Amino acid sequence: MTYIATFFSHFGAIKFKKLCEARGLSAVTMPVPRSLSSSCGICCRFDADGIDHLKPFPEELEKVVLLEAGGYRQLYHIDEQ
Amino acid sequence: MSDKKERITIIIAGLVVGLLGALLVLAGNPANMGFCIACFIRDTAGALKLHSAGVVQYIRPEIIGLVLGAMIMSMVRKEFQPKGGSSPFTRFVLGFAVMVGALMFLGCPLRMVLRLAGGDLNALVALAGFVCGILGGVFFLNKGYSLGRSYKMKTLEGVAFPAVQVGLLILLVGFPTLLAFSAEGPGSLHAAVGIALGAGILAGVLAQISRLCMVGGIRDLILFKDTKLITGFVMIFAACLVGNLVLGKFNLGFAGQPVAHTAHIWNFLGMVLVGLGSVLLGGCPLRQLILAGEGNADSAVTVVGYAVGAACCHNFGLASSGNGPTANGQIAVVIGLVVCVVIGFMNSKKNA
Repeated sequence: MTYIATFFSHFGAIKFKKLCEARGLSAVTMPVPRSLSSSCGICCRFDADGIDHLKPFPEELEKVVLLEAGGYRQLYHIDEQ
Repeated sequence: MSDKKERITIIIAGLVVGLLGALLVLAGNPANMGFCIACFIRDTAGALKLHSAGVVQYIRPEIIGLVLGAMIMSMVRKEFQPKGGSSPFTRFVLGFAVMVGALMFLGCPLRMVLRLAGGDLNALVALAGFVCGILGGVFFLNKGYSLGRSYKMKTLEGVAFPAVQVGLLILLVGFPTLLAFSAEGPGSLHAAVGIALGAGILAGVLAQISRLCMVGGIRDLILFKDTKLITGFVMIFAACLVGNLVLGKFNLGFAGQPVAHTAHIWNFLGMVLVGLGSVLLGGCPLRQLILAGEGNADSAVTVVGYAVGAACCHNFGLASSGNGPTANGQIAVVIGLVVCVVIGFMNSKKNA
């Protein structure tokens, strides 16, 4: 499954990408897709089987969505914890 | 929004903003200044008597329109989100510094593109500086630079800045005798209020949908080889160039350009400061207006930083003129660069 995580800082995304790669997951940083947010930071797209094993998420991480056919499903948002 | 749709949106936004840039000059705005966020905030500060430079005083409805257009569109798209609390005063200082750089060159990144489309080659020197400044900003991003996260705010915090813009419009239309208006110079040249406001709203709507940003385009190209945002930048240039050629307003060269000077080093350094400061802020002056319209109080504080910076630039002789830069302005640009570098290092991960 493919997920996108958005961050409050550029460096947060880079660190998270390294964390994913250290766990053997394929991950890339890229500009946040417009369909996901009106803000223009960078995000990390990664492939994994679930996201629980990546928790606790770093404090720079804002939200994680799952890519589905025709859209996104939000799985985590820092303000909803 | 699919990738393709995203690209089409940004192309349309760029083309329309570029065309508006040319048409607003035809409607009465100063040459190569159909849109300039820095100049127009400076003019507005002058109209409010925050500075007394008699040639640059007028409340520019384009600025009001950009903010209101972005607010309306973000509400329609359910993207209006009052938020703030990400180092607001540091943002104020960076906004001030960006304005010092912009008024050294005589234009924000948007006007830099419009000047280039008018044949003003000084803007090419500025573009080189702008790219260098962005590279400097990217260096700090990779060092872990962050001004910290923003937080959800109350609705009032998000609507306060757009409400102030409505207040400015009421002042402009209903109580003009309270304001200072230029009788000569760039401030005296303006399109009719309705046209300027409409153009601003249209640009604000399109910029909100597309996330048009002069800084973001070059940043994404450098960091990810992603060309989406910079396509908007290129389209603004292309549309305004065609507009200027059709209207006979294209004049290639360095000397004798409208509201411009030929001090290359200072055009370059001024835009280094704008590029660096804008990456540290997370967007160019146009983008800050759009974000403020979407309810971002940090961007609203940044815009206030621009306005205070512009007022100080004219009160203390820091702003350039057609005759060239001033010694005070040159010192201020160097100080601004030092301030940005200090802010960059202090907010990078090892120091945060």
